Amino acid sequence: MKVEAIEYGDRKVYSVGAFNRGVASWLSRLPTVWVEGEVTELRRSSRWASVFFTLKDPEDGACLSVSMPRGQFDALRLEVADGVRVHAYGRPELFEARGEFRLRALSLERFGLGDHLAALERLKSKLAAEGLFAAERKRPLPLLPRRIGLVTGNDAAAKRDVLTAVTTRFPPANVLVAETYVQGPRAAGAVVEALRALCREGVDVVVVARGGGSFEDLLPFSDERLVRAIADCPVPVVSAVGHEQDTPLCDLAADVRASTPSVAGRLVVPDLAQLLERLDRSRAGLERGTRRSLERERQRLDRAHERLGRAPRLHLERSRARLEQTAGRLRTLSPRSTLERGYAIVRAQDAIVRSGGAVAPGERVEVELADGGFGARVEDTR
Amino acid sequence: MTFEEAQKELEGIVQRLETGEAPLDEALKLWERGEELYRFCKERLDAAEGTIEELASRAEAAKP
Repeated sequence: MKVEAIEYGDRKVYSVGAFNRGVASWLSRLPTVWVEGEVTELRRSSRWASVFFTLKDPEDGACLSVSMPRGQFDALRLEVADGVRVHAYGRPELFEARGEFRLRALSLERFGLGDHLAALERLKSKLAAEGLFAAERKRPLPLLPRRIGLVTGNDAAAKRDVLTAVTTRFPPANVLVAETYVQGPRAAGAVVEALRALCREGVDVVVVARGGGSFEDLLPFSDERLVRAIADCPVPVVSAVGHEQDTPLCDLAADVRASTPSVAGRLVVPDLAQLLERLDRSRAGLERGTRRSLERERQRLDRAHERLGRAPRLHLERSRARLEQTAGRLRTLSPRSTLERGYAIVRAQDAIVRSGGAVAPGERVEVELADGGFGARVEDTR
Repeated sequence: MTFEEAQKELEGIVQRLETGEAPLDEALKLWERGEELYRFCKERLDAAEGTIEELASRAEAAKP
């Protein structure tokens, strides 16, 4: 369509109608596409040829007006209400009379289970790549928490199950309960807020408990904000959401995953009876061990004392043996052994005679033998 | 010190004592420390009074 401009000198000016027609014709050349968003402000009247609604981006709140021929909308028999996520197939158009931009939808589909699963899978891969689910991030639960935080719905069952399990196992447990939405569009934000509030109050561990529900019911527990809040929680988190076979992403980000609220309750407290028994065993061991150490020390002392007592006698015996040895050597060296071999010692005037010249004939000498001796007179000398 | 730290240290002391290898001075020191840890653990258990509170009512009570 030709858009006529009025010429004012060298200025080209368009009428509003012409401008809108021009933009509309340019927009109409854009392709038909799928757009995803949440339905809000749905307006339908049997007097109107079209139904109108706004598509809202759940991430950033961006809005898009949508119109759809009423006949087509009704024929789809979709139970579309505010808050429902849809895929709209259409092209951008300008409502020329008002200069309003909107999407002219030709078809509409509810965001199906498959789409949810695909979106969940994408988010899961993204968070896994960031290391949010890594095993080394998991923290051990405190053995004896001073206070336990519990995030739960006002749905009585999950809350009661956790509290019963906790107090049965550990009667003196202190629990701070934060009741919150666990279903619907407000749940994710509310759970995040409850987590933060509990941590501000001061708890050593948090249990997030929610009973079973449909896939959609549990979706808030796979919400990115909630999953990140659990991973970032300053104290360990136990997740008990849905049944065993459901694995909402919060289960992967939590430090421990419990299959049921009761299991979660048992995980966060020690068994008081067992704890006391263990403590008593330690104390008994302490006494026994100290006694044993003392006993050993005493035995060591006794042994030392005994050796001390033996020491003088031992010393005496050693001295005696040494003396005997010396005496033996002394005997070997004495002249007596020489006499025994047949030699004799001759003395004159008490001096040992070593040469013939030392005595004179007729002089008396004393002869000593190995056995006894005798006196003699010198016959002659040489 | 947390309860589990105390419990772990206590059990370590018992183990050391039960070998009977600790010299007298050390054994007596270990025993004293062990008793101290035992009292700490016991007190922690006795101090827990067993309360279940609602966060909402706490917030309510905090309001002027």
